[in-house]
Amino acid sequence: MSNDILLQARNIKKSYYVGTPNELEILHGIDLDIRKGEFVSIVGQSGSGKSTLMNILGILDRQTSGEYILDGVDITKAPNKALSSLRNKHIGFVFQTYNLIARTDAIANVEMPMLYAGISEKKRRARAIELLEMVGMGERMHHTPDELSGGQKQRVAIARAMANNPDIILADEPTGALDSKTGRLVMDIFHELHEKQGKTIVLITHSNELAAETPRIITISDGNIVSEKINNREGVA
Amino acid sequence: MIKENCKLAIISIKANKMRAFLTMLGIIIGVCAVIAIMTVGNSMTADVKKQLESYGVQNITVYMNPVDYNAELSEADYQAMSLKPETLHSLAKQFDGRIAAIAVQSQAGSGTVIQDGNKANVDINGVSAGYFKANNVKLINGNTFTEFDYEQGKNTAIISDKFVEQLYGSNYKKENMLGKEIEVNIDDEYMNLTVIGIYEFKQEGSMMRGNNKNISTSVYIPLKNAWNFTHDETIFDATVVAAEGEDAIVLAGEVKEYLTNLLANTLGDKFIVDAYSNQSMIKENEKTMNQMTMAISMIAAIALIVGGIGVMNIMTVSITERTREIGTRKALGAPDSMIMLQFISEAIIICLIGGIIGIILGLILGNVAVHFMGYTPHISIASIYMSVGFSMAIGVFFGYSPAKHAANMNPIDALRYE
Repeated sequence: MSNDILLQARNIKKSYYVGTPNELEILHGIDLDIRKGEFVSIVGQSGSGKSTLMNILGILDRQTSGEYILDGVDITKAPNKALSSLRNKHIGFVFQTYNLIARTDAIANVEMPMLYAGISEKKRRARAIELLEMVGMGERMHHTPDELSGGQKQRVAIARAMANNPDIILADEPTGALDSKTGRLVMDIFHELHEKQGKTIVLITHSNELAAETPRIITISDGNIVSEKINNREGVA
Repeated sequence: MIKENCKLAIISIKANKMRAFLTMLGIIIGVCAVIAIMTVGNSMTADVKKQLESYGVQNITVYMNPVDYNAELSEADYQAMSLKPETLHSLAKQFDGRIAAIAVQSQAGSGTVIQDGNKANVDINGVSAGYFKANNVKLINGNTFTEFDYEQGKNTAIISDKFVEQLYGSNYKKENMLGKEIEVNIDDEYMNLTVIGIYEFKQEGSMMRGNNKNISTSVYIPLKNAWNFTHDETIFDATVVAAEGEDAIVLAGEVKEYLTNLLANTLGDKFIVDAYSNQSMIKENEKTMNQMTMAISMIAAIALIVGGIGVMNIMTVSITERTREIGTRKALGAPDSMIMLQFISEAIIICLIGGIIGIILGLILGNVAVHFMGYTPHISIASIYMSVGFSMAIGVFFGYSPAKHAANMNPIDALRYE
């Protein structure tokens, strides 16, 4: 079983203002294993530390202590230079605020991670078109973010996260800024990616309702994992 | 990668056109100033060089000078200082084969010719045999003076085509003048000359665009005739033409040394022989002009540096504004080097566009200035390459620090930036 573990976190602690009197520990020692092909939700109130955890899992931030192994690579020991390549090839991010690059059309946004991976222009273009069609954005490939609605932006962002076919998609409140109807659409895309393509997805949310859709639910509170539950009622509620 | 970065930079510059333009302004002004100054400097140098060359690149001018310019010189002193025909003969003999010609001239005065109701101004120049070769005077009709003309100081003359035009208009057949007699009035003394040849008049340097109609042209007569007229046989300078393949600068030194030794007794400590080749004058002129151009360009370079600081300022602002974009790019896996390249490219492109606009404006400004100063425009290609290179270097230099700052941002801090 152990060799299909994609992500392994051991006793992850994160503190701010380290070494000062007002040192603040946000994560108190998180242990977490995520296997290939899992769809996991990490649920918690705001301030619970779930976003901090996601940033560490996404290698956007480094833990203060503890061990984190992603796809066999010990992140703790990896030099800074290697981190960008790890983010580029192993992780796809979907943010609450979409974070598309302004003034750059949808297709160029989707191409961006591939550009950084050094993929040829022709291959990038073909892959970007394929991905945008997959998320139902084939018609609006040449629109810039300010010409797209929130739901459309988030679909472009999902296509972008998929660009380099990452091992894991980290979605931080992906429906947080969307109305329930478009939010539903976005969630359906995640379910599709999980079921049809077997993608490993980690969904960070404060909504128990959304979390209930995922096969595995991890609840985090005050920097600790407080409960973990396997959801037998898989799929759409 | 470079193509992508250029595209990104252009998108970003387009998004803030006004700001980019204002930033470029410093570079534009700096480059424009450098190019304009270089154009003016080069045009002046080229014109003066051309003029000096028209006097003959192989020409060496030998001067007889008093050691002390302020000293009162007596008539006897002038006679002693004067170059004698036998001195020139010895010189020619000494440097036989290395000297192509020796020329001396003596002004007989300026006057007017009135013929058939028309008037022309002339300068009467008594010349020696080597004169036409040394001064590149081209005969278009008739003949030059014979040995006999020189020896006897005959009343023969070689006139300019311009002179014929002034008297009879441009449609007049020039050769009709050959054999004709002209009467020159020099301060109410009259000189009657028979025209034996017509030379091509060359307008001296574009600097001296005078009234074309009243311009005074030279009428050449044998040297001896001029002496007979003025009763003054003193000559204080001569033109020595170095033979083809001779280094005129070296020869000038040797001529000076030879004459100084030859004339040691007459020169005494009162007079001195100097010999300068036109080549060394051309070089001297180029050196002075280059120094001047460099000095002014230095000032323009300061404008460029100020412009560069403007670029640095705007890059800092641009990077701060786009902190979240940088965070996103980093999250998507952009290596630090790519972020750095992106912003340096942007700085370079701003500077390059500014540089190109500056070059175009500088060329226009420089050419207009050159035109009004009466020189022939002479564009320096090197200064254009230099400006392009310099603007790019400013982009790299002043874009480096902001770009480095962007590249070193912590991804999560950049993403969270509000």
